[in-house]
Amino acid sequence: MTNLLHPGRFISPKQSEANIGLMLALPIALVMFLLVFFPVCVTLWDSLHRVAPMRAGTPFIGLKHYWDLFHDDNVRAAALNTSVYVVFTVLLETVFGVFVAVLLNTVKVGRKWLLGAVILPWALPPIVNALIWLWIYNPNYGVLNNFLLSTGVLNERHVWMNDRFVALMLISLVHVWRMMPLTAVIVLAALQSIPHSLYEAAELDGAGNWGKFRTITLPLIASAVAIALTQSTLFAFNLFDEAWVLSGSSLDTRTVLIQVYMSAFQDMQFSYGMALSVIVMFLSLAISLFYVLRIYRETRFD
Amino acid sequence: MLSLKSFKKAAFTGCLCMAVSLPLFAADAPSSKQYSGQTITVLVPPWGTLPKDMVDRFKGDTGISINMQTLGWDEIRAKLITSLVAGISPADVVELDWSWVGQFGAAGWFTPLDKMVSAELWSDIPSRKIFEYKSQTLAVPYNNDFRLMIINKAHFDHAGIHQPPKTLDKLLADAKALKASGASKYPIALPLSATEGTATAWYLLTKAYGGDLFDKNSKPLFDAAGSPGYKALQFIEQALKDGLIDPASTGMTDVQVQDAFKAGQYSIDLAGWPGNLSTYNDKEKSKIAGVVSGALVPSSTGASNSFGLVEGLAIPKKSEHKEAAAEFIKWWMKADNQTQVFNELSDLPTRTSVLNALIQQKKLYDGAVLLEQIKGVGPLFAGGAPEWYPELSRAASTAINQLAKGQVSVGDAAKQIADQTVKAMNR
Amino acid sequence: MRKNLTARIATAVGVILVLIWSLAPLYWGLMSSLTPATDIANPGFHLFPPTITLDHYAKLLGSTSLAQGNITDSVWPQFKQAGINSLITSLLATVVTVLLAAFGAYAFVRLRFPGRNALFGLIVATMAIPAYTVMIPLYRLLVGLNLIDTYVGITLIYVSAFLPLALWLMRSVYESMPLSLEEAAWLDGAGRMYTLVRIVLPLAAPGLIAAAILTFLNAWGQFMIPLTFSPSLSTKPLTVLIAEFVSRNYVDYGLMNAAGMLAIIPPLLVVVFLNKYLVSGLMAGSVK
Repeated sequence: MTNLLHPGRFISPKQSEANIGLMLALPIALVMFLLVFFPVCVTLWDSLHRVAPMRAGTPFIGLKHYWDLFHDDNVRAAALNTSVYVVFTVLLETVFGVFVAVLLNTVKVGRKWLLGAVILPWALPPIVNALIWLWIYNPNYGVLNNFLLSTGVLNERHVWMNDRFVALMLISLVHVWRMMPLTAVIVLAALQSIPHSLYEAAELDGAGNWGKFRTITLPLIASAVAIALTQSTLFAFNLFDEAWVLSGSSLDTRTVLIQVYMSAFQDMQFSYGMALSVIVMFLSLAISLFYVLRIYRETRFD
Repeated sequence: MLSLKSFKKAAFTGCLCMAVSLPLFAADAPSSKQYSGQTITVLVPPWGTLPKDMVDRFKGDTGISINMQTLGWDEIRAKLITSLVAGISPADVVELDWSWVGQFGAAGWFTPLDKMVSAELWSDIPSRKIFEYKSQTLAVPYNNDFRLMIINKAHFDHAGIHQPPKTLDKLLADAKALKASGASKYPIALPLSATEGTATAWYLLTKAYGGDLFDKNSKPLFDAAGSPGYKALQFIEQALKDGLIDPASTGMTDVQVQDAFKAGQYSIDLAGWPGNLSTYNDKEKSKIAGVVSGALVPSSTGASNSFGLVEGLAIPKKSEHKEAAAEFIKWWMKADNQTQVFNELSDLPTRTSVLNALIQQKKLYDGAVLLEQIKGVGPLFAGGAPEWYPELSRAASTAINQLAKGQVSVGDAAKQIADQTVKAMNR
Repeated sequence: MRKNLTARIATAVGVILVLIWSLAPLYWGLMSSLTPATDIANPGFHLFPPTITLDHYAKLLGSTSLAQGNITDSVWPQFKQAGINSLITSLLATVVTVLLAAFGAYAFVRLRFPGRNALFGLIVATMAIPAYTVMIPLYRLLVGLNLIDTYVGITLIYVSAFLPLALWLMRSVYESMPLSLEEAAWLDGAGRMYTLVRIVLPLAAPGLIAAAILTFLNAWGQFMIPLTFSPSLSTKPLTVLIAEFVSRNYVDYGLMNAAGMLAIIPPLLVVVFLNKYLVSGLMAGSVK
């Protein structure tokens, strides 16, 4: 094997391969180490100290921040909100996403255009999506109220964000609007790899549409759905734009991420915000691990 | 025929006029052209954004171009913090609110401006005190803001009420009458979103009930039932229950509420801005021009109380165009410019001489009421805005927002505000 | 598959519903941006605005603008600068990410070196780490390196955020390419790098394009990161500027919608013209 680095000097093929491999992987490792691994370690370390740019010194305070976090009403409210968002968005995205994927799989004519339309909400900047929906939900001028009023469903303009549950649902809806295409596309990929022969065999056995779906489609897209679930959950954990634009700092819709932003950049309590983000990081990793292990088990049966 | 007596009189009056106007002119030295060609960035809220002709005139006078950046008030503070912690200057001239002085002063981010402005000009600007931190002045005040009540006279007449209410109880009664007469569906305009305007409205109501938020030792007074702050929260809750405040206010900032008032939707702008008296009466900008009048903030103690919310212009230490920025601020402070700013942006002038001139020329709507209210204007915090003010403000606006949505009781809201503020004090 | 009439009707209804769901909000935003300010305040539901105006777009792109009812300086310079910033940061992030992924993923698939699997696993695992866990130390790190408000700083952050997905994608692309192609080249005496550049990469082009599109769209849509790391107009992207617009022009809804519509244009173009590659990218990433 040609020795790229030192022509004339003999290196074993295996060594040469390793060298090139390391060379190619090095920049990546550097970037990830500097910008991800190192900061994570710093976060862990700093969460045990008091770090605030407006105050001098960074004394060690051990687990005080974590203790305070568990007793912080704001954090509790934010955690509750995030949980609600995660449950609802993942549920709606998965069910709706599978439905749309099946639809896309069935449609032959104009599939490309339908796909384009479905993907569009996902491709746009999330903040613009949130602004469009903010406008739709506007109590005085928004189309939601206008439409419901003109069809007689409502008698007077409703302030949607006043009820906590409704507000959480509406914000979830905007997030689902944006993220459902991802699930749809992932499941569509799995659907397209199911051989027709399986369906034909089932038809010969007398299975109807629902029967075919239940016994063939569902099991074979299970692993794709699991992947989509992972993605949905992670994105729901990271919900920021929608809640921020639609409801600002209001406590009843605040997500954990917004709380981190407020603690760190509005209150200037960096280490407090970092402690909170550490908790969520571990939760997030745990959930991903759970999904990954399940996928591993699922794919083993394929 | 000119007698000696009348001549002396004329001469005397002439001298008097000159003496009165001398400070006006002496402080208004012509602008320097030595920074011509530079461009400065100015970061201000919407009511600080100079109209195009003023920007052009500044360029003509000094040769300096302005890059005007407007941000909502609540966003400016976040922007300032992020930039300044990173060691960058977000702009060459930035807004500095009275309530930020404690926190930002401690961080040492702004250039002291004492030497920049002449002593004569300083003596014409009494609100300078508000921007002093450790005996250095960090900003030059440009907006002499405080709060008063503004009412829609047409609505009041429709309901048969001829006097603005002087007490809060009478206010509630009047509001109910206004609603019953069909003048407005939701008579009282009050912002209730989780933003600064909501907190300020609560402070005002507390003052209206005749009390303070904290005692001398910064201990909260408002979490005790029966205290003025507590009663103020009850006022808000009751008014909402009686249908006197628009439920959509929970999503509106103070500026959005004012816009609705301008469109004639509400009858009483409870935490009104004095500058808005002229905006509301401007036919081109408002639908209720001519039927608006200012009124004293209702009070339970007889004397009307309000407090000052002065805004100033500051120069971050990290700015790279400090001298040009200083030229801009000095230019803004000229009498004719302060007057134009008042006419177009409704910022009440901070120079006493300009204010007096406007009153004399009867250019100030309801000037008498304004002057009367100014008598009752005092600082919200005797020692200046404390370092923990932002936490107080946020705790207050968040709790009131929840209270307005019916998610917490008055007692819980008050306790929440007290707990979070005390926590911030002890950090 | 035979399709009976009910199935066809059901499908058609489904398609219409999905189209309405996906496109109606955007349609509404577009209509609002073309509605004059006075009409916006009118109650009533109109599918199509009674009068069309280009006023709002004029305020954004024209030589003067409006604030507080006064004529103010045009906001077009800010808009233009933010648009340029968005473009530059997105393109830079895309180019760097795709380059690193193209070569790096090859190493992870074809070349054996110590710690290969562990490193790959670790990198992909970072996709599970929420953005804000690293945001604060990253902020202080960049402050220390003086990279706040610079193209380099933002690009680095984007690269670290989008590289894992691009790597994952390219890895599955390379894995599905038969080794025989490369082996043929080696038999002819070609070196590893030569094979990679001249033979493998061209074949992997669709995957590269998909990775590029995904990265570009992700970078273009970023809000929270530039909100913190790009405080001034020198690097502020369009997404942050538009949010500021909302806070500045609190009741100028037509203007808000118009600004939003303008920011949608590049992603819209990408979806319309590069749909094929985009979908193949999303689907390739899902196969593991």
